[in-house]
Parts: sequence; C-alpha cells; structure tokens
Amino acid sequence: ASAPALSSQLIVAMATAPHTWLRLVPSCRSYSKATRLYKIDYPWKDEPKPHWVRQFEARRVDADLTPENRDWLRQWRLQRVRDAVASSSEAAAAASPLKEPPAARPLWTPRVSQRCGLVGIKLGILPMWYRNGQKVHTTVVQIPDQRVLRWVPPEDLGNYASLREMRPYRLNQSFLPRWLTQQRWGLQLVGAVPADPANFTAQWCGIFKAAGLPPMRKISRFLVSPDAALQPGACLGLHHFRVGDCVDVVARTVNRGFQGVMERHLMEGGPAAHGSTKFHRKMGSAAGGGGPIYRGKRMPGVMGNRFRAARSLPVLRVNTKHRLLFIKGFTPGPPHSYCQIMDSWMLDVRRSLDANPPPMPTYFAEDAPEGGYPEDVYHPDLLPYDQPLELPD
Amino acid sequence: HPARDATSAISSSWQLRPVPGLQVPLRLPSDRRPPVRRFACPASIAAASAAASPAVPPGPPLAPAGIARVYKPRLSPEAMKEFWRLSGIGPDHSRAKAADQQAEVPPEIKRLYQEALPPIVSQDYRDPIVESLHRAEMMRRRRVINIPEFHVGSILAVSVMDKHAPNKVNRFVGLCILRRHTGLFTTFTLRNMVDQVCVQIEYELYSPSIVSIQLLKLERRLDDNLLYLMDAPHSHCTIPFDMVPEPYSRNDPVPVNRERVRLNPPPWMCKWHLHGYQGIDLEHLYSYLSDKDVAKAIEFSKAYKRYDLLDQYLNRVPVPDADYAFKDIFIQHQELLQHQQQQQQQSSKKSEVISKLTGTV
Repeated sequence: ASAPALSSQLIVAMATAPHTWLRLVPSCRSYSKATRLYKIDYPWKDEPKPHWVRQFEARRVDADLTPENRDWLRQWRLQRVRDAVASSSEAAAAASPLKEPPAARPLWTPRVSQRCGLVGIKLGILPMWYRNGQKVHTTVVQIPDQRVLRWVPPEDLGNYASLREMRPYRLNQSFLPRWLTQQRWGLQLVGAVPADPANFTAQWCGIFKAAGLPPMRKISRFLVSPDAALQPGACLGLHHFRVGDCVDVVARTVNRGFQGVMERHLMEGGPAAHGSTKFHRKMGSAAGGGGPIYRGKRMPGVMGNRFRAARSLPVLRVNTKHRLLFIKGFTPGPPHSYCQIMDSWMLDVRRSLDANPPPMPTYFAEDAPEGGYPEDVYHPDLLPYDQPLELPD
Repeated sequence: HPARDATSAISSSWQLRPVPGLQVPLRLPSDRRPPVRRFACPASIAAASAAASPAVPPGPPLAPAGIARVYKPRLSPEAMKEFWRLSGIGPDHSRAKAADQQAEVPPEIKRLYQEALPPIVSQDYRDPIVESLHRAEMMRRRRVINIPEFHVGSILAVSVMDKHAPNKVNRFVGLCILRRHTGLFTTFTLRNMVDQVCVQIEYELYSPSIVSIQLLKLERRLDDNLLYLMDAPHSHCTIPFDMVPEPYSRNDPVPVNRERVRLNPPPWMCKWHLHGYQGIDLEHLYSYLSDKDVAKAIEFSKAYKRYDLLDQYLNRVPVPDADYAFKDIFIQHQELLQHQQQQQQQSSKKSEVISKLTGTV
C-alpha cells in the first residue's frame, strides 16, 4: 500500500509500516475536520487555514482569574459532576435508606416491547475460542456512565424540533421513514460521558439542566416502545444486556476519505495495458442515449463516515471491572468511536426473547443475583483462557 | 533560522488551530520569527551621540559580548540526552544501553514475552485497556501450557489436537522461520521437509488446540525472518522428527547462528537482495544478478534509514509503552510462578496421599 500524505497535525502521522489489520484504503484521522463533504468554502469552516489568516480563540469566561483560582474552580466543577453522577447511579439507589418498594415494572410483551439501548465506546478486538476449538473475534465495547435524558412519546414526534428540519438526503427520498409515520415507538434520549461544563456552551448544558443531570459529551436517541419508556435521570448500566443476548450495533463507519469509483462502488475500471489510453480507474459512461444523469448515480466521493448497523451479534462475555461487553464479530467504526447497542431487530432474536425476556425496562439493582456478579461472565460455549480445551472424541 | 534547527525540525511544521475549550496559547506565525534583540550602544558612543543630539530615551542594558554565539535558543545538553533516551535513537544509543536503562525488569522477561509489546500501529488503533486484556489472557493461557522462549532460527516440536489422528494428537517438528503479530494474535511458522516435500505450518501461539510446545534447540539468526529458505537448498531446513532436545540455560545469552545461506539460482519467490538480509551469502547472491540489480541492492544496504528519524519513530514501540507493558507482564509472571509452585505442592501432596493409601491397601 502506498504511504498516505502526512497530515498537518504531526503528533502521530499515519503509520507507514504495513500492518495486517489496516486496510489498503486508509482512514482519515479526524473526519470532522479533514473531509470535504461540501465543495463550498465558507469562512467559519473548521479546516486548517493558511498562516496569513488571522485566527483568534474566543475569550474564556475565566481568563481574568489567576491560574490557581482557575484550577480550583475546575476541580470544584468536576467534583460537582462526580457528585451528580454518583447520586444518580444505581449503587446509590440501592444503598439509599429512603428507597421505596419497587414500582410495578412493565412486562415484556411479545411483538410490542422494544427496550432502550446503550451508548458504547468501541475499544478494539480480542480473539477468543469456543469449546469446540473454533476461533471467534470479539469486539470489546466499553459502556460509559450514561443516564436517560428525555422521553418523547410517539404522539409528539411530529412536534420534535430536530425532526422538523429534514436532512439533505431526505430530499432524495419520496417517503418519510416508517418510525416517524407509524408512531408506534417513541424517542428515548440518552446522555453519555459526563464532563466539565466549561467544555460546552450554555445551550448544550441547558439540555441536561432540565433533567437535573450534569452535561455530557454524547447524546443518542433510541426508538423505544411506550411500555419500556424510562423517565429522565434513570441510570442505564452494563447488565442491561446479558451474556447470550443478540444485539444490533449502530455506528458511523470508518472514514476512507475521497475515493474513486473502484474502491467506493467496486466498479471494474479499465484495462491496465493493451493500448488503453487514460482509462484505467475511471467510471466510464454516466448515462445512456444522451439522457440526463439520474440522481444517485454512483460517482467518486467521500467513502465511509455513514451510519451502519451490524445485526444480531451475540454478547459472549461481560467484564464488570472495566465495564466491557465482548460482542462477537466486528462492528462499524474506528476504535474509540461511539456506537449504539440495542436489542436486535431480527425476528428470530425477538422470538427467542419472548421465551427469555430481558430485564424490563432496564436492569435495576434488585435483578442482581445473590453474591453479585463475578469479574468475568462467560458464555457457556466460550472457553476461558485458563481452561484447557477438551474436544469430544 | 528556527525552521532549520535540528531540534525544531518536527515542530516547525506544526500549525496549531484553536480548539474550543482547550487552554493552549495560540501560536501565531509571528511566534516563529526570532525575537528582535535590541542592543545598547557602548557608553562612549552614547555620550558622543547625546552631545550631538538632544535627549535620547534610555535603552536596554548593554548586551554581553558573547550574545551572538548564544543567540539561537537551544536545548540544554541534559534535555537533549533525555530526548534521545526517551526516543530510543541518537549517537549514544545502542541495544545494550537501552536494555540496561530498564533495570527494574529482568532481561529474561523480555526474552520470554516478546509478544507482550504493543503493536506498532497508528495511535488511533491502540487502546490501553485492550492491550492489558491481551496481556492478562496471555498469562492465563500460560497457566495451562508452558510456552518456552524461542526465536526465529530455533527448532520446535508442536503438538496440536487432531480428531483424525490416531492418538488425537498431531506432532510437527520444524525450524521457526517467522514470528508475527503481538498479543493474542501472535503466530509462528515452522518449516521442515516431510517425504521430500517442503512443509510450512503457521500456528497461533495462544490457540487452545495446541497441546504442547517443546523447544528442541534454542538459537537465533541474523535476520527477523528466514523466508529466503524457500529458495535455498532443502538441507538448510531438514530437521529429523526424532531430534533430541538440546539443553540450554536461561541465564546464558541466546546463541546466534551466523551462517550465511547460499540460495538456489533464480527465479526466486521474492527479490531477496532488496530486504537487507544478513543471513544470505551476498557475494554468491550478487553473482546471479545484473549490474543494475546489484547497484540497487548496494544502495539499499547503505543503511540510510538510520538517519530517517520519522521512519525510526513510526517503526518502534515508544520506550514508555514498552516499559509499562514489561512491568505489567513481570508482575503477572511472578504470580504465574507462585501458581506453578502451588500446583507442584498440590500434586506432590496428592501423590503422597495415593502412596499412603496404596501402602495401607
């Protein structure tokens, strides 16, 4: 593979040493800044500017303070965030002396119930082996601190602000999505990764203030049936999914940058030799018979950086120490990217959940087994590394 | 000019952009230009000019004589030495010295756990939790099976589970020609002649279907891989299956086999002259090549990569990361030894109990 050009941020350039896990088509390091999704150049675009352009940082609110006071205030803010996270955690709810008896929890209704999902951070890949000697690659996903932010019932979907402004690709489609028209499911907003409020704008912090939560880096939304709705402030934990549950993982795929049609759409291109004149990697014809080029014609452009779902992946192992889920197979996205994990929408998985319903609407401390969970919970078909393989004769 | 200074060769191409929420002073292009130094003129000339012209505002104090020589900002020698030590490159650097600097971890750990080093990939693909999980699982597997220290050039006997074999176990003896990847993905390739047929088998080091790995001969070669043996006479990789293991001591350094292999005449599977192999008889190799190819090979062997700082930076594991990995492994290695001692005690107790029972019965 040819070595890619060095980016302007020379902290770590892309590796020139070939590694088998790197694909031939390189991934862009910072997709939000380096890719040109639009050809229009506007002054406030977040792109490296030439050195003659004057750039100034916005003046910070605490710029007039001494460094010591600034640090003290930052620690005070972080402590408040930590207190807010600890007070709303499931451990606090279990240990509270004022704990009321559990309210009636909704029952799992076949073909109706759809639970909320979790926000995860994809970390990497760990190989494991089954008890029959077969190898399986597992994706390690970390479940950070997350809380429920808002519940939007199905009737209010039409009024929801972010849905009133349609995304550009909706203009190509003549039908609205079914989850918007059927109004069967509502939207559950979940916030993940609490952080220092000084990192965000006041408008962003205001979203969380209404729910009484500290501001968080990531907001995700899940399509949830009304019987599994969660109210703001509810804690979503690691044990929302059990070992053996099949999940769908939705994430933004790795950004491959601007690619030609041969990589992007697997077109054949032209012959390398035999007199081919300047036609080796081109698209060829764009239309036929003098007709217009239709909308959606496959052409070069940015490859990747799209939301895709990996369906029906079983959870093979749960690590309670680092809050990790080991999901079989590979999920979209680069390491350290956010992903959404939810109960699989595949019909065979839904039917199997009717027989073995998961904790509804989510996992609470009262669902814990006696003695708590061990550090590692393995799927019965999975072979832990400290056990020898015993094949049947 | 700062941009041409060796110490700022990398920093001169940085262009820091404002990131909201980040308390970093913005570096403007004016920062890269050297600061303007104003020198005061000597007192005699000042007096003469003051007499000639009206009041002159007092300037900065008189500059010292040697200001021209120390004008460019330089790193102190101590800071430079620290930089070389952390980067692992520089005139004083050598393998032995780097190993001595990591004095807390004994050298046998680095020989036993070569695959504990993190992979050499872009930082975007590396994660400390995943790497620690790899190391923990590696040590868990070593409680079940003994994985000896071996290098490329050593001779191993590997037994794997095979349900179609007569004893359900398939044993293969071969010369290790390749050792790839890190962590739980580590693989090694053994090569041998079986019924006048060259056989190469790649095994995953931490696969549970491996029953045992036995080291028959501990040896090292001059190269990281011996793929050129594919184009060498078969005598170089013919190892008898009933080879008796040769004893070795862990404290002694690994013996290096400095033999130089004479390859078969071309065509070859690969352009062996363009990879810097030291284990090939180069004079014999060049006798097969045209002048153009020989010139190319000689230019490759000029070792210009020794001066390519970025190539060295990208193709090495950072020293702090390697230190951390080996220290983590060292702690788990000591726990493994304790576990093995406990197992031995238990097995000896069991044998005592059994002998007592059989004695009484």
